Amino acid sequence: MLHIQNVTKVYQTKKKQVIGVDHVSLTIEKGEVFGIVGYSGAGKSSLLRCINLLERPTSGNILVDGTDLTKLKGENLRRARLKIGMIFQHFYLISQKTVGENIEFALKAAEMPSNRIQARVKELLAMVGLEEKIDVYPAQLSGGQKQRVGIARALANNPSILLCDEATSALDPKTTLSILHLLKRINRELNITIVLITHEMNVVKEICDRMCVMQDGKVIEEGSVYDIFANPQEPLTNEFISSVVSFNIPEAVLKEVKGQVVKILFKGKVAGEGIISDTIQQFNVQGNFLHGTIEYIQEQPLGIFIMELLGQTEDIQKAIAYIETRGAHVEVLHNAI
Amino acid sequence: MLFDFAHFVSMLPDIWKAFGETVLMIGIALTVSIVIGLPLGIILFVTDKGLFWENRFVKGILSFIVNMIRSIPFIILLVVLFPLTDLIVKTTIGPVAASVSLSIAAIPFFARLVENALREIDKGVIEASIAVGAKPWMIIKDVLLPEAKSSVIQAITLTIISLVAYSAMAGTIGGGGIGDLAIRFGYYRYDNTIMIATVVILIVIVQVIQQAGDLIAKAIDKR
Repeated sequence: MLHIQNVTKVYQTKKKQVIGVDHVSLTIEKGEVFGIVGYSGAGKSSLLRCINLLERPTSGNILVDGTDLTKLKGENLRRARLKIGMIFQHFYLISQKTVGENIEFALKAAEMPSNRIQARVKELLAMVGLEEKIDVYPAQLSGGQKQRVGIARALANNPSILLCDEATSALDPKTTLSILHLLKRINRELNITIVLITHEMNVVKEICDRMCVMQDGKVIEEGSVYDIFANPQEPLTNEFISSVVSFNIPEAVLKEVKGQVVKILFKGKVAGEGIISDTIQQFNVQGNFLHGTIEYIQEQPLGIFIMELLGQTEDIQKAIAYIETRGAHVEVLHNAI
Repeated sequence: MLFDFAHFVSMLPDIWKAFGETVLMIGIALTVSIVIGLPLGIILFVTDKGLFWENRFVKGILSFIVNMIRSIPFIILLVVLFPLTDLIVKTTIGPVAASVSLSIAAIPFFARLVENALREIDKGVIEASIAVGAKPWMIIKDVLLPEAKSSVIQAITLTIISLVAYSAMAGTIGGGGIGDLAIRFGYYRYDNTIMIATVVILIVIVQVIQQAGDLIAKAIDKR
């Protein structure tokens, strides 16, 4: 388990103090995939780097399985870092060493007996699907392959936590997806805790269990990815979600509507039931779909529909009440009646 | 006559001897400057702000000494170092004696070049190895040196070329070598043949070393 307790990171520049991370507390469970989302400058990278003390927090504590890393120095800190893997946006492989030697480097750091190193290197490369690239130099690899080597290096010493610093931000969408699937598989097979930072909601939607949103060094919203997608509280969170699921109805369309425009949210199984058709059959209302999607978050459906309901105000209200009794959430966006 | 070929041939044994002396003093100075300058350059780098052996005191002192030696013109350094040379090699004449001051001049020069070569390495690569849990010594041996290998070869090339120039200066105060020949014959005796011959030899040496250095640096770079 990873506890981030009241962590603050202040950067001292010549003229002023800049607060990078502002009293952040998070608890990340063993085996969880946790996403930290925010725009650049929100402090997410600083927070991530505080976890393995690449940056020492100005105050606060980092507890990994009960050990407070902020109390460690030198050799003890180095040993603790062996159990925290990290991958980077720009991979940061040693360019003058082969793929195999790059991984060997991590194993040597943990003082693995030399007769076991080669077997472990092969095992790790097999895990990321790059066995045949063992003697190749990083310059000859594609971005996705470099990141796979980065992952193999990060996993070399069986860490309990893997930190991902914008690990897919330099990759194309297809490669991003394959790296995310690899991370998810590693998370499941090795039960390794993954903490990732990103500005792409797609990444979070794809692999995270829980997430938080950061702004100006503070965590402004935290929860399960599903709940946050279903019901974002903060405007910034909403902004991030709308980058994946957009519900902007053009003004011209809104001008045309004659009834009530409602947003209906179906969570989980409810999305699969024929609530809308039941409603229209039972009540004297007509419905026009303006927008709709079913998103699968962690394989759980989340249905979001925007409809225009036409009919008598009374009937519409009854219909809305009925939809809510069936477990969906209704929000009236616009009323033209 | 500008170039007397017969005279040139008659002087060949002297030229050959001078060439040998130049190679000897450059060889000694280069070896010493690598042996001392390389670790010094590494220390200058890793004691810098934000690196794993950050130490303002050590960095400050070494930096001051390096700057001090580099700010003294070589011709003056040669004279100033006579007592030290006398102490080490018991003489102030000849190529071995000259190699003492050549070494003293080349060490800080090479160290600064090494420091700059290390500075070119992406900080992220160093950080990634810290995150992996590598010991500082491992980072120096397996990250800093391999990553800077190509630039260090370039630094050695540059140091040799500077040493060629310095060695000619050392020749003027009794250090022997090509420079000594050029001064004694070309300058004092208006012997154009020797003057031209020595200049050509120096040009060839520098060209060959530069070409070889570039070739090696390129060949070993895996980027």
